[in-house]
Amino acid sequence: MISVKPKALADSPNKMDLENLSPEQIALDIKGLNLFYGDKQALQNITMSIPKGQVTAFIGPSGCGKSTLLRCINRMNDLVDICKITGEINLHGENIYDRHIDVAELRRKVGMVFQRPNPFPKSIYENVVYGLRIMGEKNRRALDEAVETALKSAALWNEVKDRLHESALGLSGGQQQRLVIARAIAIKPEVLLLDEPTSALDPISTLVIEELINDLKKQFTVVIVTHNMQQAARVSDQTAFMYMGDLIEYSDTNTLFTMPNKKKTEDYITGRYG
Amino acid sequence: MNSLNSRHISGQFNEDLERVINLVMQMGGIVEKQLNDALTSVSEADEVLAKIVLRNDYQVNNLEVTIDDECTRIIAKRQPAAGDLRLIMAIIKTIADLERIGDEATKIAKVTLESLTNKHKDLLLNLDNLGRRVLEGLQDTLDAFTRMDVDDAIALHKSDVKIDREYEALMRQLMTYMMEDPRSIPQVMSVIWSARALERIGDRCQNICEYIIYFVKGKDVRHTTAEDIEKL
Repeated sequence: MISVKPKALADSPNKMDLENLSPEQIALDIKGLNLFYGDKQALQNITMSIPKGQVTAFIGPSGCGKSTLLRCINRMNDLVDICKITGEINLHGENIYDRHIDVAELRRKVGMVFQRPNPFPKSIYENVVYGLRIMGEKNRRALDEAVETALKSAALWNEVKDRLHESALGLSGGQQQRLVIARAIAIKPEVLLLDEPTSALDPISTLVIEELINDLKKQFTVVIVTHNMQQAARVSDQTAFMYMGDLIEYSDTNTLFTMPNKKKTEDYITGRYG
Repeated sequence: MNSLNSRHISGQFNEDLERVINLVMQMGGIVEKQLNDALTSVSEADEVLAKIVLRNDYQVNNLEVTIDDECTRIIAKRQPAAGDLRLIMAIIKTIADLERIGDEATKIAKVTLESLTNKHKDLLLNLDNLGRRVLEGLQDTLDAFTRMDVDDAIALHKSDVKIDREYEALMRQLMTYMMEDPRSIPQVMSVIWSARALERIGDRCQNICEYIIYFVKGKDVRHTTAEDIEKL
């Protein structure tokens, strides 16, 4: 018998105590969030802390509220008339739903990438600098540098550096999605929201994006919604399982995929009837 | 328990898992019979039975390969998670131990083929006592595996110490024989190898209990103390 506790019985090395994160570790602090579409409640009392510099995945069946929750983080639901939200989402200790919050400024800090790549019908270069131009950046050299940095971060630079002024619409789907990510990170957001970023892509492009997500977390906090459970298992540090508007289980990804706490989570990730 | 008695949306996945579980049961049954036959061949000096044991070992080996193959296919095609993943891992590890138990049974059967004189018959009686205890442990372990009964697994894990004690007592007795009559050393040595094989089977049953605990509790208890396991 040996007295040293083997690793397996100890907690996994990267495991964070998600319920007791220090304020410096938290990127987003969601407290008692409820969301109603008219009479229908789509999110029920969601409370969770999303740690900084990590990838957090939301998984769950269609209609469970995972995309709705993601869209709350940069107030995309403001555009829906019948939508009513209570509770808080705190970024730097400030509730993003406070009256005085400038939504445009919030969306600069919290970038978003959607399911289908949506490049603007402009050149690759203009797509990347779009946000910077809106923010008033005119210095040509600064823009050039920003394009190179963003495209390199998005693992696209080598493929497009010789045709920066060609139309972005000529790129493949996977390249367009990376261009959109480059556009989102060019303005240096703090949080990057990815709403099923690879569901319209082939498996190889998907792997490239997954690899990219792993690199991006060094600079940004990434929150990803995905239908693909294996993808959540591969790319995320934390996973939240949602079901019918409730947050059922939120824990580190290693634990959630090997020893989930709740039966509903187990049934979902192993593909069983609920 | 979940992985054993609730259904996947994919019927094919259910069938794959059921097939592999059935193969493990089948392998367990053959290993149990091999050990039983090996012990009987020794106690009854039945050389024919001993040869049958040696010949049948290939069945255990073939099943190990088949089950490994099925498990690899399930991992590749289904990407099992949570309980399913732990079940597949537990199975892969369990069959490796079962295969080795099969090998130990053949080692025991080989003793029958050694020419032992009547003088050594009482040595064999003690070996048979240890053997029956180990066989019982194997049967209980396979039973716990079939039901994935974690309480039984923990109790069985703990009870291996009895086999170890009995083994040590037998060893002391065998040493005395050798000291008293050095000419008997070759025969006594073959009994020692058998006793050693039995003791190893006990350890391998203990390993299988650890895999049951891993499947049910999700905790890897290998190389931990009995107190750690008690706390689960």
